[in-house]
Amino acid sequence: MVSPVSDAMIRLEAVTKQYPGTMTPAVDELSLEIPEGEIAVLVGPSGCGKTTTLKMINRLIEPTSGEIVVAGERVTEMDQSELRRGIGYVIQQIGLFPHRTIAENIATVPKLLGWDKARTNERIDELIDVVQLEPEMRDRYPAELSGGQRQRVGVARALAADPPVMLMDEPFGAVDPIVRSALQDQFLDLQHRLNKTIVLVTHDIDEAIKLGDRVAILNVGGILEQYAPPSDMLREPANAFVADFLGSDRGLKRLGLLPIRNANLEMGPVVAPTAHPQDAHRVMEQYGVDWFAVAEGKRLLGWAPGTALETAPDVRSIPLQPYRTRIDVGSTLKEALDAVVSSRAPMTAVFDGDDYLGMLSADRISREIVQ
Amino acid sequence: MAEFLTDLLAWFGDNWSGSTGYITRTWEHLWVSGWAVLAAMGVAMPLASWLGHARRGGILAISVVNVGRALPSFGIVALSLPVTIRIARNVPFIDSGLGFLPTFVALFALALPPIFTNTYTGVRNVSPEAVEAARGMGFRGTGILWKVELPLASPVILAGIRTSSVQVVATATLGALVAYGGLGRYIIDGFALRDNVTIFAGALLVAALSVLTEVAFSIAERWLVPRPLRNVGTQQRPEAAASVAR
Repeated sequence: MVSPVSDAMIRLEAVTKQYPGTMTPAVDELSLEIPEGEIAVLVGPSGCGKTTTLKMINRLIEPTSGEIVVAGERVTEMDQSELRRGIGYVIQQIGLFPHRTIAENIATVPKLLGWDKARTNERIDELIDVVQLEPEMRDRYPAELSGGQRQRVGVARALAADPPVMLMDEPFGAVDPIVRSALQDQFLDLQHRLNKTIVLVTHDIDEAIKLGDRVAILNVGGILEQYAPPSDMLREPANAFVADFLGSDRGLKRLGLLPIRNANLEMGPVVAPTAHPQDAHRVMEQYGVDWFAVAEGKRLLGWAPGTALETAPDVRSIPLQPYRTRIDVGSTLKEALDAVVSSRAPMTAVFDGDDYLGMLSADRISREIVQ
Repeated sequence: MAEFLTDLLAWFGDNWSGSTGYITRTWEHLWVSGWAVLAAMGVAMPLASWLGHARRGGILAISVVNVGRALPSFGIVALSLPVTIRIARNVPFIDSGLGFLPTFVALFALALPPIFTNTYTGVRNVSPEAVEAARGMGFRGTGILWKVELPLASPVILAGIRTSSVQVVATATLGALVAYGGLGRYIIDGFALRDNVTIFAGALLVAALSVLTEVAFSIAERWLVPRPLRNVGTQQRPEAAASVAR
């Protein structure tokens, strides 16, 4: 499940944190490897030590025992401040400096690293663009920004010195759900371009599934229950705790991760306009439906009820109704299922732009889950 | 009444120059006040900001205020007199234990508590998120104090210095009791001579100087406090002071 040591950017080896005066450790002999360019999400109930684990990576919290290696260097052998300047850090409350402008906030780490003005300014402009803020924001103060904008400034500030590793502690926790979802999409988009190695902490399993290349589910006391790519975890939870934490709609969540692109599409009860009425009868029987659709090459022309065949001499002369249940191939199987269950049609037509690709039925989708 | 006002105006016309004139007296008044506030800042601010940064010594901070409130300035002047006289005898470059030194000691003690508490609470109450973010990005302890905590605490610290300064300017009047100059001279000497015009003129000058001090600080705030932090909570104060000054 865990990739070989060589390409692990961050490696935790039997890391334990025991606070003085406590009986049980906050994190217990935790070992994890995070490959370069991946997002690992630490998720679990409160008291599972996820934030403690995160903060041990940049030594905001010192481990009691064990070893943490970042980019081949043991963190305990590095100067704390030097280490932190090389790791991007984003916290839930963002923690922007209210007395500094957005540009000054973003320039924080470059300034600590002693970059010259020209280079810093260039970088600020670049980052404002990268996180999709308006250039006018440059000289505003944090109090003048919305929650979503502040969050993006927080990310820009963490990215300023282009660190290979980013630590994010509930980075989307302080914004409302609608903005959060948009920021998550934007964040994934960004990650596809930047390929950082990211450790992200959340208490929200849906966020973990959406963002993580790998998800580590921690139990109270810092015990690692399972560490796996989310779709593997959803298919095969390691134990009852993981299954319970993933929730009862595990199958649906997994569908949300499976792209239609990878699914086997069905032909569906579809005939060409040149087909004989008997062909239409045959496909209706085959799929057990009382309607059929007509497609010409990559164009789906529409559908008609089977009764239309009784009066019409051929398929071409049958008046067709537009096929309304349709979905883009870039969507997930969950969205396809939603399209099916929220319409009367038993199948959704899959399109790539205007090109018709095939059909997906609820039955077909449920078979995709178990594959 | 009209006669009193005429006399008062005449007093202001006659007494502005010379070593006992009110320009000199005002200067003396500000001289001892300024040194007392500066000394209090020099002692209180480093200690209080360090304690606030380390998030320690809350009990000390509270004790300092309470003791400061409990000690009457008049008492400190009287108490410090024997001490300052002894110091003056033993330290070659201090010529007198009277005058400046006991006044300074009393005003210093008066100035200390507001500066100490405001610096302490100002630094301590800086948003923990900003401090955590700073630490997480690789600021060292002193960097956090200078670049994050002190700028963010600056409105509160400045308010403390302002409170101290206004109190000190108003109280420096007591210097006249221990043979110091300052505007208190007119009040004390006026009492001795039963000269109501001089008493009133002295009182007026002290009041005006206190108000001007307040105004000066509201102007200084514009220079010293980062823009987005200005006028937080104290928005009404400068206006009120300005209208009195007019």
